[in-house]
Amino acid sequence: MVEQVNSFAIKTKNVSVHYGNKMAIDDVTINFTKNDVTSLIGPSGCGKSTFLRCLNRMNDVIDSCKVQGEFLLNGVTDIYGDSIQVETLREKIGMVFQKPNPFPKSIFENVAYGPKIHGLASTQSELNDIVMDSLNRAGLYEEVKDRMDDIATGLSGGQQQRLCIARAIAIRPEIILMDEPCSALDPIATARIEELINELKENYTIIIVTHSMSQASRISQRTAFFHLGKLIEHGDTSKIFTKPDKEQTNDYITGRFG
Amino acid sequence: MNSLNKRLSAEKRFQAYGLFAVALSMFFVLILMWKIFSTGSGAFVRTTIEANVFFNPDFIQVNQNSLEKELYRASYVALADEVVRQNHPNLNEEQFIKVREMYTRKFDYQLRDYLLENPDKIGQSIIMKITASSDLDQIVKGNYPRDVPEAQRKINDYQLSVLDKLTSEGKVSSVFNFWFFTKGDSRDPETAGIWGAVMGSLYALIICFSFAFPIGLLASVYLEEFVKPGKVTDIIEVNINNLAAVPSIVFGLLGLGMLIGVIGLPYQVPLVGGLVLGFMTLPTIIIASRASLRSVPPSIREGALAVGATKMQTVFHHVIPLSLPGTLTGTIIGMAQALGETAPLLMIGMVAFVMEIPGGPLDPATGLPSQIYLWSESAERGFLEKTSAGIMLLLLFLIIMNTAAVLIRRRLEIKW
Repeated sequence: MVEQVNSFAIKTKNVSVHYGNKMAIDDVTINFTKNDVTSLIGPSGCGKSTFLRCLNRMNDVIDSCKVQGEFLLNGVTDIYGDSIQVETLREKIGMVFQKPNPFPKSIFENVAYGPKIHGLASTQSELNDIVMDSLNRAGLYEEVKDRMDDIATGLSGGQQQRLCIARAIAIRPEIILMDEPCSALDPIATARIEELINELKENYTIIIVTHSMSQASRISQRTAFFHLGKLIEHGDTSKIFTKPDKEQTNDYITGRFG
Repeated sequence: MNSLNKRLSAEKRFQAYGLFAVALSMFFVLILMWKIFSTGSGAFVRTTIEANVFFNPDFIQVNQNSLEKELYRASYVALADEVVRQNHPNLNEEQFIKVREMYTRKFDYQLRDYLLENPDKIGQSIIMKITASSDLDQIVKGNYPRDVPEAQRKINDYQLSVLDKLTSEGKVSSVFNFWFFTKGDSRDPETAGIWGAVMGSLYALIICFSFAFPIGLLASVYLEEFVKPGKVTDIIEVNINNLAAVPSIVFGLLGLGMLIGVIGLPYQVPLVGGLVLGFMTLPTIIIASRASLRSVPPSIREGALAVGATKMQTVFHHVIPLSLPGTLTGTIIGMAQALGETAPLLMIGMVAFVMEIPGGPLDPATGLPSQIYLWSESAERGFLEKTSAGIMLLLLFLIIMNTAAVLIRRRLEIKW
């Protein structure tokens, strides 16, 4: 497969992560193509969430966590380098977490917070537009348009998660990281989010950690299989799920272990 | 089955013990309350004697045209004596002294205050309820027995006969004692009020809050959110917990040595009292604030960081607002404790006799608990009911503060 350098949203090389003396990621090299959904799959504790959190440096807050290797944003910017501040990086790489974590403030405030601190809106009406647009893209606007001032924690789980997605896209990132975004949701809410991911990939590169094989096969174009901190296999989703190169991958997706 | 019955009866026994423990503590609380209320309620009422007062310009040396300042400065002592003579005619000198003793010594001030408010009454006669002396007050309230030998009584037989005559004429009555809530301390129980001490405590608490709350909050935020845990933070943590357990008199000594001795702040002022109470409250606030910062879920911090907020924005926009109810609860409980603290006030001199109501944190003052302590040491029977009434007021403030703490905590629970 031949691809241009600039068609990669994130390139990583020889990534190793340690928590104290414990190795969590062992020499992983993986590139994420632009405007694709890439699923990271693998059994619990395989390091896929850790890897995901390295991409927007959310692991910085964990003192014992040591990250080594090369991370390049758009092929040029060193994610861990001095040329970029972590706040700017997170403006470009948004994140949605496993458990919906809206701020206990109003729905409007939740979405408006990011644009406010980054100064993306100079007037109140611009801010309103950003909030409306983000909620629209997250497919939540119709449901909440009459109660923008209600507290966000009063929404249902699925709505909260879509609010978190709206919050992430409100600062216009290039990449959205999702850490098992549906694991706390019921099947209907899950279907909504999957639909949403499908729409979002037009404009964003999405990297998603999931435990559900069927979800990975439904929503992603590329799939990476992690096991015990190592990247076992990475390729087109259709190939991984039908004709994987490695036996380990085959065993995992057919449910023989994991 | 048998063993189940055994277990069930063990549970019943346990519940009975628990009920007994609760009932016993309630019983003691009730006894305490009953004792305080039965002694203290008298302080809210004072005995007055109705008298005819003629504001004779000759006695007070002022007239209708006098300025307010002149009215204030005029001597009303002679007028007070004259009022007594007019209302009790034909007394010899010894009788006059006895009858004069039945009225409060301070009743010249009562006359002055009346005239200041109604300057047009100069040269006129009015009927006024003049406060009785504390000893007479106690007789009327029944706190002093009448049927003991005269030598053991503060009110002698002659005074009793005058009292009975006044009572039969309907001139003795009880009025609500506003003075208790509006006046400062006094040598005479009948004119002593708690307001000076309340204001002293209020100023001290304001100083205490404005000193301890920001420092406690910032210290806890720094320790909890910014500093990396290590040996140093462990040592700080242990020391904060130690400070919370240090007896309050030690903080009083610190205030005496440092604030008054080294820095040279004045003695017996609420400023120093408030700072000392602040030292004492600081560990409590830090501990409560750290606990409540820790209870903010990490997912909130992650959510803010993930949209590109700096650490400080995360803490100030999200974490502190969410932890504030818990911090305030801890602060209020700490301040309620500070309000009732006597020992540090003793050390820095806020336990002196202060008549004036303090106008600011740099005026000499007492605090509520030290005022109670002062009154409890006084020999006069009239101060006994003041002591209990002071305790009632202190308890009322404590109940208000603790209720506020509970309400704030309840709001916190609804939020999560």
